Amino acid sequence: MKQISKRYPNGVLANDNVNIDLNEGELLAIVGENGAGKSTIMKILYGLEHPTGGEIFIHGKPQVFKNPQSAMKQGIGMVQQNFMLLPPFSIAENVVYGSEPKKMGVFFDRKKAVDEVRQLSGQYGLSIDPTLLIKNCAVGLQQRCEILKVLYQNARIIIFDEPSAVLTPQEVEGLLDTLRQLAGMGKSIILITHKLNEVMAVADRCVIMRGGRHIATLNTGETSIQELSSLMVGRQIVDKEIPKLDKGHCVLKVKNLSLSGPAGQSIVRNCSLNVDSGEIVGIAGVSGNGQTELLHMLVGLLKPDDGEILLNGKEQSGGEVRTIRDAGCAYVPEDRNTMGAALDATLTETLLMAHQYKKELNRHGILNHKSAEESFAALLKEYNVLHSSLKQKSGELSGGNLQKLIVAREISHNAKLLVISEPTRGVDIGAMEFIHNRLIEQRSDGAAILLVSSDLSEILKLSDRIYVMYEGRINGEIMREEANAENVGILMMGGVRHDKAV
Amino acid sequence: MDTNFIAAILNSAIRSTTPIMMAALGSAICNRVGVFNVALEGQMLIGAFSAIAINWFTGSIALSVIGGILIGGMIGLLVGYLQVRFKAADMVVGTSINLFVGALSAILLFILFGVRGSFKNPALLSLPAIQIPILKDLPFISVLLRNFTAMDYFAYLIAIGMYIYLFKTIWGYHTLSVGVKIEAAESMGLHAQRTQIMAVMVSGLLCGFGGVTLSMGQVTLFTENMTAGRGFIGMAACNLGRSNPLLIILASLFFGFCDASASIAQNTIPSQLTQSIPYISTIIALIFFSRERMKKIKNSKAA
Repeated sequence: MKQISKRYPNGVLANDNVNIDLNEGELLAIVGENGAGKSTIMKILYGLEHPTGGEIFIHGKPQVFKNPQSAMKQGIGMVQQNFMLLPPFSIAENVVYGSEPKKMGVFFDRKKAVDEVRQLSGQYGLSIDPTLLIKNCAVGLQQRCEILKVLYQNARIIIFDEPSAVLTPQEVEGLLDTLRQLAGMGKSIILITHKLNEVMAVADRCVIMRGGRHIATLNTGETSIQELSSLMVGRQIVDKEIPKLDKGHCVLKVKNLSLSGPAGQSIVRNCSLNVDSGEIVGIAGVSGNGQTELLHMLVGLLKPDDGEILLNGKEQSGGEVRTIRDAGCAYVPEDRNTMGAALDATLTETLLMAHQYKKELNRHGILNHKSAEESFAALLKEYNVLHSSLKQKSGELSGGNLQKLIVAREISHNAKLLVISEPTRGVDIGAMEFIHNRLIEQRSDGAAILLVSSDLSEILKLSDRIYVMYEGRINGEIMREEANAENVGILMMGGVRHDKAV
Repeated sequence: MDTNFIAAILNSAIRSTTPIMMAALGSAICNRVGVFNVALEGQMLIGAFSAIAINWFTGSIALSVIGGILIGGMIGLLVGYLQVRFKAADMVVGTSINLFVGALSAILLFILFGVRGSFKNPALLSLPAIQIPILKDLPFISVLLRNFTAMDYFAYLIAIGMYIYLFKTIWGYHTLSVGVKIEAAESMGLHAQRTQIMAVMVSGLLCGFGGVTLSMGQVTLFTENMTAGRGFIGMAACNLGRSNPLLIILASLFFGFCDASASIAQNTIPSQLTQSIPYISTIIALIFFSRERMKKIKNSKAA
């Protein structure tokens, strides 16, 4: 493989004269913020979209891809963000889907499929049980199945579209290993991402895109995360100074909160914590250690078995979601696509959620759409949410923009307590910076913020105080001044603090 | 009890099973590609009517059978186009087609034969009964198999054939994939919509087949609304059989048995009551099996 060059001038200008070349056995990263055009150019390469100009060359020969099948024939495969797997079928059946081994011309030779997939997985060191059903596989394993699917088609160029977005940190490690290994075996890999640490960890070269344009191509050995991120965003990223504030009054006090699961297992054990006004309190922990359930109890989605929740001194434990919200609690849930927003609802409807009882928007049960739309348009402008119209469906927004919209909606409650979970999961650097700055502003305005995040750097950056959760209990509390990745990390793994003065 | 009596009941049950099984298989193929087809009843009724009409005008059994099946298939094609290509709501399409076919057959009955309600004539030909040598001389078996037509046997071959197609062939795998995740099928370059429309058309052919056995099998006549909900009972049988053609054979036999016992019990119990047996049994069976299934789902989740 010599080079792929591609030009794509004009149009809506999703891509403007982009040139990319890729060598054999190379791991090339393409980074850029949401909407920078990196997905578009890959869709063109994979035949999902057609260029309005420019050409693609493989081994020096010009190619035109009408559809993914023709790209596949030239050895280009893509592992998409949302998997194209059939849940009721086995891994083997999914891997061979589209080019099944045959018996007597028409029959599907499932045994041979299992053998072939087993052999393939051995060949590439992707250990897998081909007979497992997809619906019983964890996300990481499903992704592995997608990779095998592409390998089964004999792809020489494999495009990964934001592959780590759906994975847990441990699974990400495995994925990065796989990427290195595939490149080592002579496959050419294109990695689309906005996680710069992954780029630095595995890529040979990195293409930076912004606003549909190709900004630079750098060797990762000769650059830094700082340089990449400022090229990506187009300006220097400056961490906002977090001002020192005087101690505020207690807004949230939680005493001995406990919850058991349906099988009697303990999910949250005896958690006590407090959040004061003008304070960001972080809850660190590997996801799945009870953080989600703890928050759900705080906002009224789950009823605790035991314990007290005092919001501004008033008992809220076991109360209805609406009562708790009315008492001054806003909530940004961890998953914007399932709980944060209804993807089929318009932006107006999405923004209206939980605001519908407000006097300015609601007269005797009739919604005032006009005044709602006016205030929402202003809100979206303030939060720099890129959208085409308020009538657009919220599912059409990019992840970062939808997240900003949800944060805007919840912050605009001006609640005394803001409970926020995974505020920047899967959003680009620009949106992340924006959301962080907003949270810091809210803190300065005297809000009490409870932040849950599985991203440790986010917790360390924002929190005045950090609780670490492990197996449903609070395994330690660290002040900002003392906290670092190491001592929090130890607590996250269930360890104990030794450095504490006795 | 007299063994001949038992054989007669089973005989009647199996013959009642054929149209229900055809509707159930039609429902299954639609379910498998992710289309909810409510028009089975209409597809069957048009098949029953067409067979009698062609029978009368051509005097050919072969033409009646083929015509009934094909016209059922045409209605299926229409349903498929409306639901798949034009994204019309399934309940609306199904209900309209059922009402439309009901009215159309009543009108044509009057226009073509000048009668209302039902049409019967000695000149109409019935499907010939198949005599199997040796078996026809055995005491119990001979009663059991009495008056079975070729179509009664063929129905089981269709069910087995559909099973092999769906679960053993590559095309079947592709067909199933359309119902599981249409985007995945399209990303592999399959014509997902075409597959769906074809499946609905096949359901029309199957229901047409069922309709023909109804109007030319046990009896040889056409009455308005003679399908009497068999399309819907077929949907229930499909549900009980979890859209698996082999399980559907069993589920259809159960409903066929209920149908047959309704007509047998007519002599002793008021007919208003017996006529409701197939429908009541449908509801009870659905409740029973749904409960079992919910329990299983619950258990597997807890595990």
